[in-house]
Amino acid sequence: MVHKGGDFGARHQIGRREFMRVMTAAGATTVLPAGSPRHAVAQSRGTTMVIAAPATPQSLDHEYDVSLGTIDAVGALYDNLLEYEKIPDPLVPAARREDTSVHTDKPYNLALRGKLAEKWEISSDGRMARFHLRPGVKSNWGNELTAEDVKWTWDRKLGLTGLGPFQTSVLNIKKPEQIKVEGKYIVSFAVPQPSPLLLKQMVNLSNPVYDQAKCKQMATKDDPWARKFLDNETAGFGSYTVAQLVRGQQAVFKARPDYYRGKPYMDTVIMKEVPTSASRVSLLQRGDVDIAQFLQPLEYITVSKSPSVAIDAVAASFAIWIELNAKIKPFDNVKVRQAMNYAIPRDEILKTVFQGYADKQTGCIPSIYPNFTNKYWTYDTNRDKAKALLREAGLEQGFKTSLSYNAGDPVQELISILYQTSLRNIGVEITLNKVPAATFYDRVTKRSEPMIFYLDSPWVPDPGYSNQLYFHSASYVNYSNYVNKEVDRLIEAGLRTTDPKERQVTYDTVQRIVMGEAPWGFIVYPKYVLARRSDLKGFTYYTSNNLRFQDFSREA
Amino acid sequence: MHPVKPAGRRPVGPHDSRAWFSTRRQPAPGLRYFIDVLRARPAFALGYAIITGVTLAAILAPMIAPYPPTTANSADYLQPPNWNHVLGTDATGMDVFSRILYAPRIDLTIAVVGTLVSAVVGTLIGALVGYFQTAGGIRALASDSVMRAADVLQAFPVFVFAIALVAIFGQSIVSIIFAIAFVNTPIYLRLMRQQVMSIRGMRFVDAAVVAGVSDFRIIRAHIIPNAIAPVLAQLSINVGWSILLTAALSFVGAGVRAPTPEWGSMIATGFQNVMTGQWWPSVMPGIALAVTVFGFALVGTSIEFLADPSSRRRLAERARTPKPNNALDTASA
Repeated sequence: MVHKGGDFGARHQIGRREFMRVMTAAGATTVLPAGSPRHAVAQSRGTTMVIAAPATPQSLDHEYDVSLGTIDAVGALYDNLLEYEKIPDPLVPAARREDTSVHTDKPYNLALRGKLAEKWEISSDGRMARFHLRPGVKSNWGNELTAEDVKWTWDRKLGLTGLGPFQTSVLNIKKPEQIKVEGKYIVSFAVPQPSPLLLKQMVNLSNPVYDQAKCKQMATKDDPWARKFLDNETAGFGSYTVAQLVRGQQAVFKARPDYYRGKPYMDTVIMKEVPTSASRVSLLQRGDVDIAQFLQPLEYITVSKSPSVAIDAVAASFAIWIELNAKIKPFDNVKVRQAMNYAIPRDEILKTVFQGYADKQTGCIPSIYPNFTNKYWTYDTNRDKAKALLREAGLEQGFKTSLSYNAGDPVQELISILYQTSLRNIGVEITLNKVPAATFYDRVTKRSEPMIFYLDSPWVPDPGYSNQLYFHSASYVNYSNYVNKEVDRLIEAGLRTTDPKERQVTYDTVQRIVMGEAPWGFIVYPKYVLARRSDLKGFTYYTSNNLRFQDFSREA
Repeated sequence: MHPVKPAGRRPVGPHDSRAWFSTRRQPAPGLRYFIDVLRARPAFALGYAIITGVTLAAILAPMIAPYPPTTANSADYLQPPNWNHVLGTDATGMDVFSRILYAPRIDLTIAVVGTLVSAVVGTLIGALVGYFQTAGGIRALASDSVMRAADVLQAFPVFVFAIALVAIFGQSIVSIIFAIAFVNTPIYLRLMRQQVMSIRGMRFVDAAVVAGVSDFRIIRAHIIPNAIAPVLAQLSINVGWSILLTAALSFVGAGVRAPTPEWGSMIATGFQNVMTGQWWPSVMPGIALAVTVFGFALVGTSIEFLADPSSRRRLAERARTPKPNNALDTASA
């Protein structure tokens, strides 16, 4: 669908001739046969970047869509108030990453840089954050950024029922009055208790700033928060704007020449939907695309043999685990849960399923997050110990149960089969339930399965945020039905203090308890892997696990 | 229509399958005749050999398979065909050859049971519908209703319909058997109805009616035996087709549970590795599936051939007249 309505076309300044040129280049990338002409196309792409993605954005409104295509689009179309400083990845020299560590020598112990905000401060009691916005920043509709935009953005979260209520609840924001416009370029957030997440939430991809003037213009009585408009179009202060979105086929993004940080190198980004990973591999190998997203581990090995392809595999915030439902027997018994962990053949999984593109999950928060510790890790595969624990639990003869996995994720079936074989050795028989991808998350959220896979990533690099999501008894993401009042208390206490030492002690204790009580079958931390043309530079890893088109450039 | 002279005490129809299948009323073709047929049509022999081989593999799998079919072994994952694993191993290290040997236990069971259920149900309903189609009154109306219901069932794409049934009744072997039986039943219903309608007007049926034989006895004793030949020929073809449907359901994830050895699921699981050069986990079960379906197709053709009196007659004539090349007329095959 090419947007023609209103003044959209004029704003995006894409002439018919230019649009035809881009489309021709996009088409040529997929129809040209093997041989030199396609190489010529690859070279002539210059400032056009083509991405083979599993799916195009289903919506451009992140409030209601967290799918892969959407988060890539949001990262390009919108900007946040703050961002982390970037540092070279310690293991992958070609990649950079956010510096999310605790820096006691820096303000608020964080390595932050201003984006839409040029200055910020937190009150001495830690209950108020004030942001001074950068003057002169224009949206893709030409409206200047003001404090009203930030206010409207957060009011929208409170007014809708999507991701917003979660994002506001993390900060204990319950009423619009907690967000105040103090001047044209000054906005403040008041929270009832000191929050270590006040600044981190302003970096979170889920909290971009909208152009309220345009959104209000497009709102209707029935749709006061411009949902319909933002579903298909964009009103933000990011570096790109959407030129075309044909769901299921492709999305085209154009760099904004008036972006306040300067126009990005890649003038045009074409995201083509290529559902099968094998086809994405083929396109990358032929040079028809610059990036092939989300391949299977063996495919990364295959594609890395091509001299014109580079692979960047960096430690990420992803983890894949099995929810051991603490409300279903026999997983209500800690010893059984521990036994199930001792029977997981992690080394085999790492070798055969992930081909090394993952690390052992030795903790209950991402290993790249501050305060992570693996000192409570004891679950190296040990079937004798597993048997002994089952004996102690009164299940010497073993038991039968089921493990549900997502049909849309090929690695889960392989892990399940390896685990099934391993469990047979300790007398546990599991039936494997392949759940269609469309209904898998519904099954997870019902919390009615004894064992079910889960792949997730807490986007905010904070131990409190992560632990609250998965282990607080009141969290909607606590799919293992894990309840420990002491853990609840500690998580809440850690989210009420900004003292780094106190937080470290608190979350160290939380990790000790959780690892000991094993509400999950801890499996692996999959890496974020980018398969790209070797002339493409600038890959930066974000804890939201998405691409930011503005980071990329091409080697001359 | 000119019914042939009934053999024995009971009247026999023009396409009397019992003439070949019965050993009492007509000289039996015998083993020698059967061997003559196979010599004349070696392709039929190949079909029987394939089906025999697959059946034996299913029965003897626990004795001849070198490895357990559902035990992962990460030390040997994705091994190409070698002396230890003649057809290689899959992504979890399971032996492809062993799994191929075990797979017919599932595939054949599902296909044969599903087909037999559909054949029995379809044949019985088809016989009743065909017999009462011209009876008038409520019975004719009921027959018409059944045929319209069959029209509706057959209007759905078979594969999509089967997926829907498995989705409704859950992912299990019984559900797949039910799905196969359900989608195949209208085929047998139509086939039988057509046969019965042609036999219904014959004199030997009229004679039975005049003699006061009940409708259901006429159907059981006189109609079905004379109309069954095309159904029997269809059986084998349908078994092959049902194996394909079972494999297709597994391929899209609606079939058997992993890691049950089943050709379709093996093809699906191994498919991901073809692109990265490990073709054997997917191609080997694919070949086994293709060969088996081919075997059932050949057997189906042979039954059709043998059930056709004119083909049998030509075969007998050729057997009496020695020729340098004993190939048969292929027009009827």
